[in-house]
Amino acid sequence: MGITISVRDVKKRFGQKEVFQDVSFRVRKGEIVALFGPNGCGKSTLLNILSRLVEKDGGKCDVDGFSSSRVSYVFQNYRDSLLPWRNVYDNVAFPLELQDMNADDIRKRVQEVESILGVRLDRRKYPYELSGGQQQMLAFARALVTRPQVFFIDEPFSALDYENNLLLRKRLQEYCVIHRPTVLVVTHDIEEAVHLAGRIVVLSKPPARVVDVVENPSAYPRDLSFLDSKQYRDVKGRVFAAFQKGAGL
Amino acid sequence: MKHGKTVLLGPGLALLAWYLIAELRLVDAFFLPGPIATISELLELAVGGGIITDALLTLERVFLAFVIAVLVGIPVGLFLGTSRRVYESLEMVIDFFRSIPATAIFPLFVVVFGIEDSSKIAVASFASALIILFHTAHGVMHAKKSRTLAARLMGATKLQVFRFVSFWECLPQIFVGLRTAVSLSLVIVVVTEMFIGTYAGLGRRLIDFQYVYNIEGMYAIILLTGIIGYLINAVFILLERRVVHWSGK
Repeated sequence: MGITISVRDVKKRFGQKEVFQDVSFRVRKGEIVALFGPNGCGKSTLLNILSRLVEKDGGKCDVDGFSSSRVSYVFQNYRDSLLPWRNVYDNVAFPLELQDMNADDIRKRVQEVESILGVRLDRRKYPYELSGGQQQMLAFARALVTRPQVFFIDEPFSALDYENNLLLRKRLQEYCVIHRPTVLVVTHDIEEAVHLAGRIVVLSKPPARVVDVVENPSAYPRDLSFLDSKQYRDVKGRVFAAFQKGAGL
Repeated sequence: MKHGKTVLLGPGLALLAWYLIAELRLVDAFFLPGPIATISELLELAVGGGIITDALLTLERVFLAFVIAVLVGIPVGLFLGTSRRVYESLEMVIDFFRSIPATAIFPLFVVVFGIEDSSKIAVASFASALIILFHTAHGVMHAKKSRTLAARLMGATKLQVFRFVSFWECLPQIFVGLRTAVSLSLVIVVVTEMFIGTYAGLGRRLIDFQYVYNIEGMYAIILLTGIIGYLINAVFILLERRVVHWSGK
């Protein structure tokens, strides 16, 4: 399997503050990798560098075959990335419209993503008429509708209640099993990281470096019983140990 | 109406106060005719006195001034908003002209455009265009970057970003500008009608009544002008709620 994302010795500073110090890791094609670490360790900045929204100060960052039609990004501030002048349907359809897809194909794709996510949002409603959780679902739907090959997710479940959080994790795994995108997910929730990721990259507090990369080989899709399994506890224990070390607790 | 009957309470009280002040002769009846006398004068003027023609002529001037202001203000505002350097270099000039009372430069416009309609329309559209331009440019400059970034990431071209995101993003601000501008146009047109170069129009009629001490007629015109101004504003608020329904949400 080829490498899809590689990050080598990446450096970044904001003014005087050094965010990373030589961060390196790789994400293989079709793999789900979680970036986990204390607040302010630049997890989101790393996604922004990878998606070329932010310039890095040194090192190498590669996303194989980077092109906007193949990469999707669910922002942490999902609310500010939705278009409030478009209703739910037109928000989901937006990236496809940008690609000049015809209306029939767009309709099929929107239906497809709705059934994968199992969401029944009223298509005529506007984002500001939805709850935070629904808006986050909408942001997800919009990101997946292009069938991305690379998928960046920043704190994907932060606005969801626990029940919907678990549901979305389940749907996301189902999607990944079918479409095999390469996923890099930023989270500050250890349960989410271990539940979803095949490997967890644990970062230290800034200036961040990679403390450990914890393998998590259990097969997908991982249902709820996984959260009560020995593998889960083992992996979580190792991630936690690395986190403690990196955060200096 | 959302507020039900309470919205009528204010006007009702104002009318009552006016009625009482006039009826109890708290002010000399010559200077303040009561509401009943004023309204019946207004009705008489409307039926046989030709003020419908005056009102229509004034509205025509306001309409022309406003349309010109929109056609100039919005495109120029959008352009200045997107090129910050140009805006910054022109900011003082714009603010300077915005700060001059439009009627103070009316004599200049009379010299340039002659004493008839053109100068009135020109001065009103000049002042209104500055307001629309200012609001539009600020709408573009202070738009949130997150949606633009999201669209860029989805592969939107510059033109698509403008068409699908930036334009909509500043539309609420444009509407604020439009509403302010149309009210200002009415003010300027009515005032300039009082000066010179026309035999009809609400301003002209008002000043004529004042010359001949037709105080009831004066109040009738003031009342009518107020009603027209209020209705124009109300139409724009309604339009605003429809078109930029997401604003402030």
